[in-house]
Amino acid sequence: MDSVLELEKVTKRFGEVTAVDRLSFHVPRGSVYGFLGPNGSGKTTTLRMVMSIFYPDEGRLRVLGRERAMEVKDRIGYLPEERGLYKKMKTSDLLAYFGRLKGMDARRAKTRAGELLEEFGLGEWADKPCEALSKGMGQKVQLLAVLIHEPELMILDEPFSGLDPVNMEVMRDAILRMKREGRTVLFSTHVMAQAEEICDYILLIHKGRKVLNGTLSEVKSSGPRGIRLDYDGDGRILHELPGVERINDAGKTAEIFLRDGMDPQEILAALVGKLVIRRFDLREPSLHEIFVRAVGGTEERGVA
Amino acid sequence: MKRVFLVARREYFEHLRTKTFWIGIFSFPVILALSILVPSWLEGKVSVRKYAVLDHSGWLLRAVEERASVPDLAKVFLSLKEAFRRGGKALEVFPPFLRVPALGKVLEKMDEGTLEKFGEALSLVGKPEGAALLARAGLPPGAADLVKKLRGEIGKWWRSLPPEEAKKIAPGSGKSRYQRVPLEELGNPGEEGLRKLVDQEKLFAAIVIGPDPVNTSKGCKYYSKNLTDLDLKRWFEGFAGDAVREKRVRALKLSPEKVSWLMAPLRMETLKVTKGGGEEKASLSARLHQFAPVAFVYILWISVFMIAQMLLTSTIEEKSNRVIEVLLSSVSPVQLMAGKIVGPAMTGLTMILAWAAFALVGLQVLPLLVEHVPDLGLGAILSDPAYLVSFLVYFLLGYLFYASLLVGIGSVCNSLKEAQNLMQPVMLVLIVPLLSMLPVVKDPNGTLAKVLSFIPPFTPFVMMNRVAGPPAPWEYVATTVLLLVTLVFTVWAAAKVFRVGILMTGKPPKLMEILRWIRADRS
Repeated sequence: MDSVLELEKVTKRFGEVTAVDRLSFHVPRGSVYGFLGPNGSGKTTTLRMVMSIFYPDEGRLRVLGRERAMEVKDRIGYLPEERGLYKKMKTSDLLAYFGRLKGMDARRAKTRAGELLEEFGLGEWADKPCEALSKGMGQKVQLLAVLIHEPELMILDEPFSGLDPVNMEVMRDAILRMKREGRTVLFSTHVMAQAEEICDYILLIHKGRKVLNGTLSEVKSSGPRGIRLDYDGDGRILHELPGVERINDAGKTAEIFLRDGMDPQEILAALVGKLVIRRFDLREPSLHEIFVRAVGGTEERGVA
Repeated sequence: MKRVFLVARREYFEHLRTKTFWIGIFSFPVILALSILVPSWLEGKVSVRKYAVLDHSGWLLRAVEERASVPDLAKVFLSLKEAFRRGGKALEVFPPFLRVPALGKVLEKMDEGTLEKFGEALSLVGKPEGAALLARAGLPPGAADLVKKLRGEIGKWWRSLPPEEAKKIAPGSGKSRYQRVPLEELGNPGEEGLRKLVDQEKLFAAIVIGPDPVNTSKGCKYYSKNLTDLDLKRWFEGFAGDAVREKRVRALKLSPEKVSWLMAPLRMETLKVTKGGGEEKASLSARLHQFAPVAFVYILWISVFMIAQMLLTSTIEEKSNRVIEVLLSSVSPVQLMAGKIVGPAMTGLTMILAWAAFALVGLQVLPLLVEHVPDLGLGAILSDPAYLVSFLVYFLLGYLFYASLLVGIGSVCNSLKEAQNLMQPVMLVLIVPLLSMLPVVKDPNGTLAKVLSFIPPFTPFVMMNRVAGPPAPWEYVATTVLLLVTLVFTVWAAAKVFRVGILMTGKPPKLMEILRWIRADRS
């Protein structure tokens, strides 16, 4: 399979701390690739190495077929977790500037900036300085700034953090559209549910090490099936059920994993009359559950 | 390289939008104009010292006035010569009888010393010494005839000229500084009366000459309320002493030639030794040349500091705006740093070129606005490559040095406040060339100047400071090589600090930590 990004046993240390530990993975062309892990697990460091902002201490890294991302920077778009705008610059000038830094010629960058702003409903803000934009509009402009040059590979570091539901939608649409256009999107997140919605492939890391890796369905089927329960009522009763191995109780929904040999019907029978059950089905585990199982259940709190 | 240019271009236009830039550009010509106009305006305000003389000897006052007119006339001719050279409006302040082209031609051939003799000859015409002097003075042909022709008129004209006019024509002349009030106008007061007038401040001073000044100083007095400013006393005493001495010599019954020989003062020509042991007249403009470096060092210091400060601010802003990481996905840290350094440098050059243009235009326009601007040879200084070229070169080198320090500092700080702490040592270093400015300009090739030029952080300022010296070629080469070597190191170190620091948040690192980054192979 054609890979746009390959990492082989990449290691990065900061002093005593090993931020990324012998990490290997491949990102297939045209996929949406979710890079998951709790905060501080080494996601940003890995992405920075991919962008050759950092260099790995050990291991091999190939981006778009090159050893150094530096050589192919123009074909990559990178939206870092910490992002901002030049406050005094006009919105369209800012977009054109970032486009030109990616090798676009001046005129093309300028027209493209205008088109994008129009397309994302910011047409009338083109000549206003960035400081005049609202937070949500600013976030849109930040995204536009990194996709103006139509990159083959888009790397997004926590793209959904801090977005309101409307912009969340805008971001999701942008990612899906890039996929439709045959581009590859690699994005990191610590919110497992977001990854579940749009990813083709999943990579889970924890403390710098790979935990799980594969297509979304591969990853999901690697864990045991569990009961997905939507309910109203006092959830304390769930914890008194017999034959239950683990419960992830979120108050209105719960995920229940049974010990071997237990029949889900017994659980249903035990709950009838005690809770209002709106949904009860047996299905693949959530990514959250898979992650928790993979890291041994001790790091639950870091995962939303 | 294209990316570096793009980053630099953005920085440049961003600076162009700031107030600091425009204040910087326009404050300079305003200060320059004020520094030229204010003194000449103040000079016009200084009141003429009024004094009266009670002459009991009956002859000394006249003798003093005759003598005092000699240097005054020399000054008149000096500015007349200048006016002929410039032509047009400059000549209009002189009376018609002085505006004859023949006079201009003769004056052209005279230097300052000869002009003084010319003035002296004018005042002595008709006296026996006058002819002897004319013969010996080495005046150009035609001068003697002019002396005879001008003699009567010029004395009358000069005596009747009001002091304000005299100041315009010959600034610094006795007439423009001191005005004698005739006793008749004061109602012929006695010594007592004069003292009262001094007390009432109607007069700055009153001078009493004793009955027999040739034999005794008895009865000669100088009354004034102000005994700190004794210029008038010295001025009068000087001429009176000469007049008295002449009388004493004449009492010895010597021939007129011998008298004038005896009385001829010894005048030393003031010459400045230039490169290669040549010599050159010490004029006001030559002295200005000597001190011009101070102004250049000052402007150099301000521009280096101001531009480097802009760089620091923009680095910190970019960091706190969180634009840095997006940029780093398009340009390498070294490219980014290079662009950030080049941008302000272009801003600085724009500012300096604008200043130079202002200065050149100002020099053309100013004489039209102000009646008397002495030709100070500023144009010559501005077009002297030793000044302008070294200014540009040292601006770039000095800026590069301090820019690499400040960009390093800026990259590890999250706010200007944090940066201020790290700036302190840099400021301490930067103060030195300012403190050494005057000592160095007074002794441009002295030990202090030489030692400081070999300390790279000071090299640009001190070498600029010494330019009137000028330093030996080997010194230029050696200090520049030393500075360049240092520059390579600081820029390299700054790049190392920059690439680590720029993505750092939280507390600024300790100095030891920064040194570790510089030593580390890679990050």
